[in-house]
Amino acid sequence: MTQYHITHTTTYDYSQPVSLCQNVAHLAPRPCHRQRAERPVLSITPDPAVIEERVDYFGNPVSYFTIQEPHRKLTVSVSHRIAVRPETPPVALTTQPWEQIRDRLPWDRAANWLDAYQFAFDSRYAAADPKYAAYATHSFTPGRPVLEAALDLNHRIHSEFIYDPRATTLATPVAEVFESRRGVCQDFAHLMLAGLRSVGLAGRYVSGYFSTVPAPGKPRLVGADATHAWVSVFCGEAGWVDLDPTHDQIPGTRHVLLAWGRDYEDVSPLKGVILGGGKHSVRVAVDVHTEEPGET
Amino acid sequence: MPSGVSQLPAEPEATPVPGRLGYSPPAGGYDEATVGPGSPRAHWAPFFGALDDLGPPELARRWRDAQHLIRDNGVTYNVYGDPRGISRPWQLDPIPLLIPPDEASHLEAGLIQRARLLELVLDDLYGPQRLLRDGLVPPALVFPNPGFLRSCHGVKLPGGRFLHLYAANLGRGADGNWQVLGDRTQAPSGAGYALENRIVMTRTLPEAFRDCKVNRLALFFQALRDTLRSIAPRNRENPRIVLLTPGPYNETYFEHAYLARYLGYTLVEGGDLTVRDNRVYLKVLGGLQPVDVIFRRLDDDFCDPLELRPDSFLGVPGLTHAARSGNVAVANALGTGLLETPALLAYLPRLCGELLGEDLRLGSVPTWWCGEPIALRYVLDHLAELVIKPAFPASRMEPVFPGELSRDERAGIADRLRARPWEYVAQTRVDLSTTPVLNNGQLVPRKMVLRAYLAADKTGFSVMPGGLTRVSASEGTMVVSMQRGGGSKDTWVLTSGTVNEFSLLTAGGRVELTRAGGDLPSRAADNLFWLGRYAERAEGTTRLLRGIVVRLAERSGLADVPELPALLRTLGLLCEPHPAVNGTGDPQKRVIPAVFDLKYPASLGTAIRGLRRVASIVRDLISIDMWRVVNGLGDFPTDLDAYGEDGPTPADVLDLLNRTVITLAAFGGLAVESMTRSEGWRFLDMGRRLERSLHMIALLKGTLVRPAGQEGPILDAVLEVADSGMTYRRRYLNSLRAEAVLDLLVFDETNPRSLASQLAALEDDVSHLPRPSRGAGRAPEQRFTLAALSAVRLAEPDRLAAVHDGTRPALGELLDHVGGWLPILSDAITQQYLSHLQTSRHLATTEPIRRTAAESGDRL
Repeated sequence: MTQYHITHTTTYDYSQPVSLCQNVAHLAPRPCHRQRAERPVLSITPDPAVIEERVDYFGNPVSYFTIQEPHRKLTVSVSHRIAVRPETPPVALTTQPWEQIRDRLPWDRAANWLDAYQFAFDSRYAAADPKYAAYATHSFTPGRPVLEAALDLNHRIHSEFIYDPRATTLATPVAEVFESRRGVCQDFAHLMLAGLRSVGLAGRYVSGYFSTVPAPGKPRLVGADATHAWVSVFCGEAGWVDLDPTHDQIPGTRHVLLAWGRDYEDVSPLKGVILGGGKHSVRVAVDVHTEEPGET
Repeated sequence: MPSGVSQLPAEPEATPVPGRLGYSPPAGGYDEATVGPGSPRAHWAPFFGALDDLGPPELARRWRDAQHLIRDNGVTYNVYGDPRGISRPWQLDPIPLLIPPDEASHLEAGLIQRARLLELVLDDLYGPQRLLRDGLVPPALVFPNPGFLRSCHGVKLPGGRFLHLYAANLGRGADGNWQVLGDRTQAPSGAGYALENRIVMTRTLPEAFRDCKVNRLALFFQALRDTLRSIAPRNRENPRIVLLTPGPYNETYFEHAYLARYLGYTLVEGGDLTVRDNRVYLKVLGGLQPVDVIFRRLDDDFCDPLELRPDSFLGVPGLTHAARSGNVAVANALGTGLLETPALLAYLPRLCGELLGEDLRLGSVPTWWCGEPIALRYVLDHLAELVIKPAFPASRMEPVFPGELSRDERAGIADRLRARPWEYVAQTRVDLSTTPVLNNGQLVPRKMVLRAYLAADKTGFSVMPGGLTRVSASEGTMVVSMQRGGGSKDTWVLTSGTVNEFSLLTAGGRVELTRAGGDLPSRAADNLFWLGRYAERAEGTTRLLRGIVVRLAERSGLADVPELPALLRTLGLLCEPHPAVNGTGDPQKRVIPAVFDLKYPASLGTAIRGLRRVASIVRDLISIDMWRVVNGLGDFPTDLDAYGEDGPTPADVLDLLNRTVITLAAFGGLAVESMTRSEGWRFLDMGRRLERSLHMIALLKGTLVRPAGQEGPILDAVLEVADSGMTYRRRYLNSLRAEAVLDLLVFDETNPRSLASQLAALEDDVSHLPRPSRGAGRAPEQRFTLAALSAVRLAEPDRLAAVHDGTRPALGELLDHVGGWLPILSDAITQQYLSHLQTSRHLATTEPIRRTAAESGDRL
């Protein structure tokens, strides 16, 4: 069990006053079996006129808030205490052949299969294409256990693509990432999803945090952590298994989960529409602090 | 024989109308009006009888009048990519479609059942989704469907209803049976055109209309109005209901303005609305006014850039959450577009059995969703007989007729179906029925589709006793589409009982600006302001140009027209520099671009184009007569081709300017006489007054600040351009004196053309604008107007007329001073009343992305 104290602060600065700002935030961790979270503290400046919480279509907690007074700066800060439990993934070799899942998804109406099926379809940022099918087929060979094949695809993306924060923006299409072989966690997650969907499997986009480990002898840099993204693949009877193509691993206690959806668009941590504002700049600072058991 | 189809042999003694007008429908198909050449169906007999009484020449004459009526009323339909401009006159055929009573009640029962069924399907898919678990609707028709809006799932709807206005496209096959070709569930268009068609037809063929005993449409719209009022979450006694349009570039914008006026709703665009405290507000001059119901003509996903389609700012950010909070009712409910999915037609019979325990009364066109392997196999085996469409309507793929394709092309389609079968449906090609249309005095057959409308009512749904009938563009055309040049018809549902004469239209149909104080949308105010400016700019420019051209036409050279250089100087002052206009060349050549050149922002043509454009946007705010006058300016030539190789002669231009000035004066007269002095009128008037002040300043600067030796002809010309010659002569007879002219044109507040009159009117206008209750003293726009007005009132006529060193320094100074205040005043008005007309954008992007209005909204 690892205990984290996470702070995630987003600051917008505007050259002109913003008279109205409406936002949707996926900043509260989704309850799930391997995480236990205290209720997060969301602090927003200026004070929101409306702040409401609900659960979205995919079951994620989501906040809606509006700022209705003129402002030149918006700060949205959230802090959580959260405990992450290690979990033993299923043994890859014992999972079903991937084709069995592909063939059963369209017809099985059991609740878990029906739920999984919706993640087999194209979404705006992760749509199937023959070129991703061709790429994924190197991993998804006939009769291969689904998790083994998915782990192989995960590994190949990690080793064949270069992590390069300057290569892409939020709007970079996955086709461009595939072409340039460069990107960041979100691009790799979308590419992985496009590959899975192209061979007829279901994959979810997972948004969360990743705790960085300081280099030996160096102190942790506060604010150097980042929001992170990985995927979850539906393995039939074995259920959903998370995979992180950026780090070539099955997420363990260093991954803190916030929300899942079809792609980034469903679960972006913070989105909003503003009136006014002129030019604006955005800063994001994330700090994932490990708390020793017993520390308060 | 299908229900409701009736026949009667023709009377033997006389050839009935269809025969005399040469009507002969193609053999083998079903014809709505006849059972063979010259043999009308029984229910058409009274109609043809009435046509017979009328006679072909009278029919032709009536029809010409009707087309003028359509044009004068500005009934238009925007065709995308049409080089002739965005709006095309509405195409209406004088022969209505007639539906007999028994057939109408058969359709009515079927349509109501269908609407009830669709309502239940929506209720499930946006709720428990039992239909997916039970295998009644394939999940692959819902999960990837762009019409399935996850953020609308689970929203509790006011009144519990999804569909408030629903439409179905009906076609009749060769067997005489009606089939539903498609459903329009989110924002069906055409009901307003159906209404307009009816109004034109009752004026054109009143005898036939009376003889046929036709059901009226008004009760249907009354039901719609009652329903929209009943779903208001609050203020149910007197809710504020707005009609949300994608804007003037949408293909059915005419209808939006028309319906708004007919139903008595405020016509708004997304930018007119804002969400605060989870409530929707209309931005009006006086501030924000709560909105209870939004009757939207926007597609679902365009309605909210925050939670729906992020690249659309046609909608209202935060609308989804406001609807979710139960503070506003949206009609139809957000997400209803899901049921426009053609593939769903294949599942309706079973759904009807499961959900209603009934058989589907009104069948759909046979439909196969290729996502089912058995269906795909059938489709591939029968490709040539079918039409292929996208499974989801949002993809806007045009229907493909494999039967008309080459072998290779057909194989290509088959490959596409095999690769992504779930994206396609196939439907039987319906051999649509034909119905007569009038074409060059002859009746000719055209394929037709009937769009039927249903409005939710207290107990279920009411069906419009009528509808919009659309016909194909030519005899060989299979596809019926207004975008592809098809036409429309009125639809007469006949009754065997008595006709209900209820009418929603106010007597006479003349429409005044009806907005009461304090609730004029700011955008409308802005548009009216510009309407006033363009109208006055066009009028002032026309008078000046006429003053120049009349001198060019009457005299031979510059020498005998000393006032001409002064007038040309005025033209230069009014216009931004133009190489030809401001040059020293042949005056005739300098005038032509100032009249016609549309690339030149200060030309008369440009001002008239601006006037017509703005007028079309505020069509719901000005009287029909004002609109007709503006429409009359459509004749203003947009290029010189009309005048042949040598271009227009001065006489041609003079004739054009004379006609134009009369039209513009009529517009100005109507603005004074036919609009109530509401805030909207104030903005229109301020626009006029500002522009007229600018024109007067330019005229006096160009002509009198640097007086010529012989001032008489110049003073004469100034009085003529300023339309004040009569007054002057009545007062001073033929004694032309500069101080007297200046007194009349600058100071005399009884002269409606004088500068002081304009400023005094502006002062009155700004003092009548709504303003925040707090704050002592005058608002900026009041101070600026007063400053300009006082400067004029305090000046002395004799001093202004005095000449020193060849100029009139006091006059120049005063004109510069007043001229300096006007732009400041204009900015102050914008700042105070129109500044919240900003566009929204997303966080973390720099540029607002705009989807055009053309992309949202139902097509006809």
